[in-house]
Amino acid sequence: MNALTDFIHSKRKTGKRLLMTHVVFGYPSIEKSLEMMHLLLDSGVELLEVQFPFSDPVADGPAITSACHHALAHKPTLQRCIAELQALSEQYPDSRILLMSYLNPLLQFGFERLAELGNGIISGIIIPDLPVEHDALLAPLANSSITPIWLLTPDTPDSRLEQVVRKADGMIYCVSRKGVTGQQSNGMSGLDSYLLRVKALTDLPLGVGFGIQGADDIRSLPESAAIAIIGSGLLNAYNSGGLDRLQSLLTELQNA
Amino acid sequence: MMSEEGRYGQYGGSYIPEILYTSQQQLLKSYREAMQDEQFLQSVKKELQQFSGRPTPLTHCANLSRELGGAQIHLKREDLNHSGAHKMNNVIAQGLLAKRMGKTRVIAETGAGQHGFATALVAARLGLECTVYMGAEDIERQYPNVFWMKQLGATVVPVTTGSATLKDALDEALRDWSANYSDTYYLIGTSCGCAPYPEMVAGFQSVIGLECKEQALAQFNAQPDRIYACVGGGSNACGIFLPYVGSGTELIGVEAGGIGDEPGQHAKRFHTSQARFGIAQGFSTRFLQDESGQLLPTHSISAGLDYVGVSPILADLESRGEIRMTSANDAEVIDAFRRLTLHEGVIPALESSHAVAAALREAPDMRPDQHLVINLSGRGDKDIFNIAKALGDTAFNDFLTHYLKQDA
Repeated sequence: MNALTDFIHSKRKTGKRLLMTHVVFGYPSIEKSLEMMHLLLDSGVELLEVQFPFSDPVADGPAITSACHHALAHKPTLQRCIAELQALSEQYPDSRILLMSYLNPLLQFGFERLAELGNGIISGIIIPDLPVEHDALLAPLANSSITPIWLLTPDTPDSRLEQVVRKADGMIYCVSRKGVTGQQSNGMSGLDSYLLRVKALTDLPLGVGFGIQGADDIRSLPESAAIAIIGSGLLNAYNSGGLDRLQSLLTELQNA
Repeated sequence: MMSEEGRYGQYGGSYIPEILYTSQQQLLKSYREAMQDEQFLQSVKKELQQFSGRPTPLTHCANLSRELGGAQIHLKREDLNHSGAHKMNNVIAQGLLAKRMGKTRVIAETGAGQHGFATALVAARLGLECTVYMGAEDIERQYPNVFWMKQLGATVVPVTTGSATLKDALDEALRDWSANYSDTYYLIGTSCGCAPYPEMVAGFQSVIGLECKEQALAQFNAQPDRIYACVGGGSNACGIFLPYVGSGTELIGVEAGGIGDEPGQHAKRFHTSQARFGIAQGFSTRFLQDESGQLLPTHSISAGLDYVGVSPILADLESRGEIRMTSANDAEVIDAFRRLTLHEGVIPALESSHAVAAALREAPDMRPDQHLVINLSGRGDKDIFNIAKALGDTAFNDFLTHYLKQDA
């Protein structure tokens, strides 16, 4: 079985729903983004999603877009990012790290190079502007620890759902609604039939993201959601009250 | 030339967030159906004639041709479209497609504001709600267009993220589309973006080249030896070039040379090491980007050419040697603007003045029995503030001071 799937299943068996928390590498500075990652991992989040910033993040809303643009002012490199993630992965062996970025920065870096440098450090990769039919681009990752994580949405037709699930490994990222990250949702309770539709086709763990802002959203997630993914919510907390506010929101989420 | 997946050689394709998959598929299907529907094609033709004023003339520039002593210079007068630019050709057709698909709202990105303006005009005519995304920096440069969009009932949303220009407006329009696709049609203004937009926009603009072919034959009994068009996203160039590809007419695209060759000083996607193959904004093409793949800021005296990528159709044609790309810098553009205005009584947009600049530069090397056509994609009225400033017209400043005093 895929190592990431294995990790998620074993965590899920012993405890409750897993949290995947998100940090933009380099925002508000490289050091401060690392502080955030340490805080999250110290607090025991199971999955850390690190976004390597891109100038044109079309799937992200204002909070993450603005964070990416600020981060880019520090000229972050993917090489440095991976080196930092290596240190984290060694320090926190009980958590897993996923990389998220858009296609172009990864393409220019090269997927061969990513496979080589990120192997054993990065457990999965999320690329929101890479549709599943272009998965051949990710072929170099095949013999590494970096599992491509594919996204599904409530509007994904059945035929495509099957196509995505066939290619999927590790976990499946179920987008909860229309729109970009950080927008309000009408709650998570209406996701039952959508997640069951996915669940009927796969044993892979399902993560739900987009629109999870707080503990209430997590509590109302269907049982079939193994992972709650939260990004903009944590970023907004940090922006409004620094690490303290980040910590208190995280505690709420973990106790949900 | 285009494959099933909307690829042009290594360029084009679809790289969009999964949430847009269904609406993109719906658009593809509706577009193909519409293009087979004679009634739809007739309604487009009718609007082009009766609303936008097509066909636009082909105008011989006797004075400049004589003065330069080279080729006979002709202008394809897209400036005479309703709204003052070629943008109308595409907007009329896509607006009718949106209506045919049952959408009630259109969104658009705009650089110079010409596409946003044309979209607002057509939305008003078709009874569609209209939201236009425009870079905050472009709004400052092109307020007259913003003013008119508002009068037409459109909502103009300033985009302040990133470089606050066209590419950021495009990102924001994609985000809106991701949230509102059930009732909203994304009306892209240039031949970029995910499939089928490059093909669709280039196709709707091809009326320019098709008309030019007939007019050239009627007016000088031959096809032009060369055609010049400015290239931002590339829609006016695609429009006049495509019917001529492989025909023996040399096709020259003219990019914004700006004020220098450093990153952020120009908007050249060809003949610079700062641009290379990339994938962003839904498609692959040559993008201006840094070593890490971050898209670079651009500069041009004309907001409409200030774009970081280029039509995948043009990128492919260039790689196959079917078109030649060159550039004109800001100073050459102002000079070309003055010469065309002064000698021919035609006021070109600063975007189109790039094509004029390259044509005037190269015309003297041609023979007087040869012909060149410049695609005059838009008129210069909208640029009055920028041109007055570039020409150092102090009386214009006095006028503005007086105007503001009057207002108070």
